[in-house]
Amino acid sequence: MVKSDTLEMLRKEPGAEDMDFSWLDDPAAERGMRVVPSKRGLTLEDISVGTYGDPPEETRNQSGRMRGSAPRPDAQNIGAHWIIKSESWSESAMMLYEEALQRQWSSATDIPWEEMPELDEDLELAMSQLCTFLTQVEFIAGDLPAKFAPNISAEHFETGLFLATQIMDEARHLDVFRKRALANGIGLLQAGPGAVGLLAAQSFLDMTASLHLVGEGFVQSMFRMGELIAHSEVDKKIFRLAAQDESRHVAFGIMHMKHLLKNEPERREEIHTYLDRMEGQVGSTPNQSGLTGGGDTTEALAILLGGGKSEKQLDEGYTKLMAVRKRQFNEYVHRLDVVGLSDRRERMHPRIRAFLEPKKN
Amino acid sequence: MPDSTTQASDEEQAPAKQADTPPEFKRPPLDMRWANAPTERPPLPKDLGPEGFTLRKADVGSYGWAPDHWPYQNDTPRGAWPAPEDKRGLLAPYTIYDKHEVWAENAADLYELAIRERWAPATEITWGSIEPLAEHTEAALDQIYTSISEQQYNSNQVLMGWLGKISYGYHEVKLYLSTQVFDQARHVEAFRKRALSNGGGLGVQMPGFMHRTVYGAFKFTEFIFYTNILRASFLLGICEASDKLARSQADRELFEHTANDLRRHSAYGVDHLKYYLRAASVNRNRVNTWVARGEAMMAADLQRDTALREALILALGDTIEEGKAALKELRAAQLQKYLLTLEAASIYNHGEALVPAFQEAIESP
Ligand SMILES: [Fe+2]
Ligand SMILES: [Fe+2]
Repeated sequence: MVKSDTLEMLRKEPGAEDMDFSWLDDPAAERGMRVVPSKRGLTLEDISVGTYGDPPEETRNQSGRMRGSAPRPDAQNIGAHWIIKSESWSESAMMLYEEALQRQWSSATDIPWEEMPELDEDLELAMSQLCTFLTQVEFIAGDLPAKFAPNISAEHFETGLFLATQIMDEARHLDVFRKRALANGIGLLQAGPGAVGLLAAQSFLDMTASLHLVGEGFVQSMFRMGELIAHSEVDKKIFRLAAQDESRHVAFGIMHMKHLLKNEPERREEIHTYLDRMEGQVGSTPNQSGLTGGGDTTEALAILLGGGKSEKQLDEGYTKLMAVRKRQFNEYVHRLDVVGLSDRRERMHPRIRAFLEPKKN
Repeated sequence: MPDSTTQASDEEQAPAKQADTPPEFKRPPLDMRWANAPTERPPLPKDLGPEGFTLRKADVGSYGWAPDHWPYQNDTPRGAWPAPEDKRGLLAPYTIYDKHEVWAENAADLYELAIRERWAPATEITWGSIEPLAEHTEAALDQIYTSISEQQYNSNQVLMGWLGKISYGYHEVKLYLSTQVFDQARHVEAFRKRALSNGGGLGVQMPGFMHRTVYGAFKFTEFIFYTNILRASFLLGICEASDKLARSQADRELFEHTANDLRRHSAYGVDHLKYYLRAASVNRNRVNTWVARGEAMMAADLQRDTALREALILALGDTIEEGKAALKELRAAQLQKYLLTLEAASIYNHGEALVPAFQEAIESP
């Protein structure tokens, strides 16, 4: 509230006859805020304080009013926003948003394209095929969070902001793998069935389970083994940078699932059904081994991992591919532990269970 | 920055026992049919220059050619050899397959430009430059910042929603729009941070007529008119009044960075609208309907938003009378910007066809 003598002075000014000033006189929003930057600058976490901080579990705000600001009784109602916090909240959203801003990179200038060596033709073909697959599926991971963005209440705007960074990251991934295929003389090759199926997610939780925990998790594990796949420093750098981005996406999803399980424990079995589906226990196509389960991309990966297509190289390539797959499954199980779904080990598809390291205590 | 990987702290435990043996794996015979996909072999990129390997440089020949109608209803990348019909997986939920519905010739360049011009509010605004202000001046600025943050969140939510409707073949557009999403996210948080920095807080929410209209857009071009033409012109007008509004280095930086982003949004909007209008003469009538609707709804907001009106008056002038005169100037500048933007998009002399309520709201603010 502005001091009464200030208000008095304003009201007496020439021209003030048609001024209302009630927004100064009786503000419904908290004032006196003096947030200060922390060592990482002025972050979302720094400003999440007082009534501007942690939102309540349930809100009736359907108008797009930003959390903490003063309501108007005549505000238009959008009617599309989720009212329950745990539906979309992730404790890591603020930190991951700021991290994403600090760790942006450019496919045009941060990849040393001019240092691209000429590769053996089979390796270049295989890399182009892998990149064709990746550029095909990468933006599905942008389209899917985009689908839910209109539902994120302004009370939970940090989630909306995080989703914006994921969309930006996936744009860069679509772009960098496309450019990589076009950078060394081969171009794009054979498109595959893609990942449109992921877009069928019907709830935010369905998305974080199927896309973040499983799909992007598998991709992240593979990118982390980029040193084995890549045959040039250029390619290694692409995988390294993309892996860093995927880590944020995966972390967001995991922390969403964890928060949700804590607040809505009755949805545990629902999560298992999403994972059953992703592990290939529902339907007939066990294709969720994250790039290593068969088909054109798998063969291209094996050639890259083995260093060529001779019998000996292919043997080595497929052996390493099994190591990638093993890492994918074990990191998946580790994520399940973090979410609070350690019980899933027991009911996991045997095809996956066979790859698992024994549980650590 | 902390690493966001998912490693838990309790991981360094006793070494794991030997794993169970994975199932017997039989490696498939070499196939490599994918290597014979009859796609175009691009030239090696050269003379990259300071802008690097841009989309424009990468997408040469058939890779750079976007057809009027995109024929593949899945995520087939443009220039790749499509999978046979029976191996294309689910048909995607995309609804936009015609170029004129989304295209802008400058999308690929704006995408790269946005990446070069990205900024981080947390670390690139001189937050320490903000000095204590008279209570009512701070409250007035906070009210203006509240409105900017809120409208950008609204634009962003709905823009994200549209992304998932645009087919994969127009990747330049999807990529450009992703940068706009990223820009708008920054605007949401940057102005919120500023409002909470100097002894104030957020102000009153907006009436929301434009919010509702943005949500309600039935067509992508309609949505782009509301956000990238109408809203962007008006917000740009505010950012460009920074000489009157800003009270600190931080304020000026916020307005400058935001204005720079908005100029890209406006450039996409202009190019797209022009492309849409050229595609068929009937489109002009459609655009006229959206223009009238947008103006009427913007007028409804302007007329009801007492807090924002008074905040602008207090922030723009040293006295109320000065502020009122300056607000009139600001509205005239915003209108001028809007009309010039429409003109660039090939809608001429629109000043004579403004919705009366809108004209009234501008002329008697
Ligand atoms: Fe990605
Ligand atoms: Fe991702």
